[in-house]
Amino acid sequence: MAGQPGVPFLEIEALRTREFIPAAKEALGDLIAEKGQAKLIRPVFNWAGRNSLFPLHWGLACCAIEFAAAFGARWDAERFGIVPRSTPRQCDLMIVNGTVTWKVAHKLITLYEQMPEPKWVIAMGNCATGGGPFRTAYSVVPGVDKLVPVDVYIAGCPPRPEALLDGILRLEQLIRERKE
Amino acid sequence: MQPEDLERALGPALGPTLVGVEPFVGFAGRLRFRREGALDVFRAVHGLGFAHLSLVGGIDWVDHREVFYVAWSDDARQYVLLSTEVPANDAHLESATPVWPSADWHERETWELVDISFDHHPDLRHLLTPDGYAFHPLLRSFKLHEPEELEVKTRHV
Amino acid sequence: MSEMWINMGPQHPMTHGLWNLRVRIDGEVILDVDPEMGYLHRGIEKISEDRHYNEVITLMDRTCYVAGLSWEHLYILASEQALHIQPPERAQYLRVLCEEFQRIASHLMWYAAFVQDIGLMTPFLYGMRDRDLILDLFQSYTGARMTYEYMRVGGVRNDLPPGFTDQARKVLDWLGPRFDEYDRLCLGSDIFHKRCDNLGVLKANDCVRHGVTGPMLRSAGLRRDLRKDRPYAVYDQLDFEVARADTADVTGRYLVRMEEMRQSIRILRQVLDWLDHHPGPVLAHELPRWLGAPYAPVGREGYLLKRHYPKGVGFSSIEEPHGEAQAYVVNEGGEHPYRVKFRSPVFANVSAARQYLIGYRVADIPPIMGSVDVCVGEVDR
Repeated sequence: MAGQPGVPFLEIEALRTREFIPAAKEALGDLIAEKGQAKLIRPVFNWAGRNSLFPLHWGLACCAIEFAAAFGARWDAERFGIVPRSTPRQCDLMIVNGTVTWKVAHKLITLYEQMPEPKWVIAMGNCATGGGPFRTAYSVVPGVDKLVPVDVYIAGCPPRPEALLDGILRLEQLIRERKE
Repeated sequence: MQPEDLERALGPALGPTLVGVEPFVGFAGRLRFRREGALDVFRAVHGLGFAHLSLVGGIDWVDHREVFYVAWSDDARQYVLLSTEVPANDAHLESATPVWPSADWHERETWELVDISFDHHPDLRHLLTPDGYAFHPLLRSFKLHEPEELEVKTRHV
Repeated sequence: MSEMWINMGPQHPMTHGLWNLRVRIDGEVILDVDPEMGYLHRGIEKISEDRHYNEVITLMDRTCYVAGLSWEHLYILASEQALHIQPPERAQYLRVLCEEFQRIASHLMWYAAFVQDIGLMTPFLYGMRDRDLILDLFQSYTGARMTYEYMRVGGVRNDLPPGFTDQARKVLDWLGPRFDEYDRLCLGSDIFHKRCDNLGVLKANDCVRHGVTGPMLRSAGLRRDLRKDRPYAVYDQLDFEVARADTADVTGRYLVRMEEMRQSIRILRQVLDWLDHHPGPVLAHELPRWLGAPYAPVGREGYLLKRHYPKGVGFSSIEEPHGEAQAYVVNEGGEHPYRVKFRSPVFANVSAARQYLIGYRVADIPPIMGSVDVCVGEVDR
């Protein structure tokens, strides 16, 4: 009863391994074929970056508990190469997991600016997406996209850990298609 | 402890400061007092064994404001509710921190949200709202945004 | 001698939430602290004045996101008193079921976060694993993992699904031995004792003066638990002990929480037995339609009925996983509460931070603040 994972573990692992090797070959092949130009290193960056996203270890509100649950035993988000780091200097992903108030707004922007480029933002949950149930409140920012650019929105109040993992995989898809 | 016991124990010492003691479900009583002798009331109630102040809150009744205190006695295993009224244009009251240090943060919160100032409070500054926040959100005159209104506002910004 | 203020927060691995602990230090020694709250102030008390009684329940889940059902219970008890409504007995047992499961889930979340703070990683995985089992149970009858909206003014939303009690007993059978395993993991570790013993001491009389309640107070030796002292719901019909420790330090708080989880299992077994043998309604009969609707209607059309209840004031206090929570609901006869005021136990526990932090070292802050079990949602509301 205890050890049943919520997501079929082996399937995902096998899928990622199948995907991993061709992607690496493709990226390195591109590099070798058109060597010497700075933009050609991009596929390698994309491949490396999307497989080791380091989110900022920052709990805002309710969604932070589901964020933590995603790193627990059942969902084990670290198998996707996602490792929360405590300092923004080492992060390339900010998961805004909760209600953003005006009091914390400038601190959120500071943290975002401290993160090195390239960086991405996931708005996790209804509060970060649009204010959620607190939209009418006097102290709440109605959506974190008023403060920082958001790449992926995850609906739910709070989203389940599966939804968070899905959001991160979609972000990986975005990074794969990234040209600039 | 019953409301009569409270009145008998506190009445002679407090005199006109004590407005009355009413029954309140699950409580030793609801004790109304005048704000002029607030500190005496706190001392007297603390002396009866109500050593644990749990809650301080304010209510805006438009024409006046009410401050209420909830204290617990370990001996009687009961709560007591204290309440007093302050006029809206002159809303201040003696702080309960000399008697109950736990009133500190509750009074800071009441000050910033309901706009009731506490005299001789050791550290009366913003707790929940940002420094310099000019509004007192829990007043009835402070209106929240309607969702539709907010929609228009954010769309054009 | 060089004194300085440092900020631990709002983004800091110690905080477990959105708050800032300003610390004045001289070398490693803490001279003064000033917790700065309000980063998660969402105005729940103000929004509640704009909502119908059942709509406030949505906010209660989000007030304390690790103990949502306890806060629902708190608010429901106060508004039932304000509206003069009596819930059926089965609903009260269901609420106790929710609250005790929530207590275990909340303490497991605390355990996972706290033990990770002092450098042990495995207990985090164990705590989250076992917490998920309880969340699965919640999900089977409320439909959600964390934000339940399960209780209603006048009862609860729905009854348990078939086979729930057997599944719940299985989970309890699994959890019991796990707590012994946790104890072996932590109390058997030298690191744990070196980082926790004689830290953050707060004696009983200081606890009372500064309004500290819950496991912090009981770890100082006071046998104070509202479930015993001022029984609400059906706690007076259940048999359990109040957990207590004498050391008043971080280890004491750990022991109290572990013992509380064991006592919760004891309560839950009694409640499950009762529920097996006493079917019945779970929502009061005499409710008006907008209060008794099993699912709150969407939009405002469902609420057009103007009801005029007799005016009243409701007060409730429950022993929440973090301590003693109180709600004060003023009903002025309308369909919205006139004023809702909540007392959060963590609010008071954090406000006493000067008493249990000054004099210790900077490296002691994570275990001490971890043992307080800060849930910022309920502090800031």
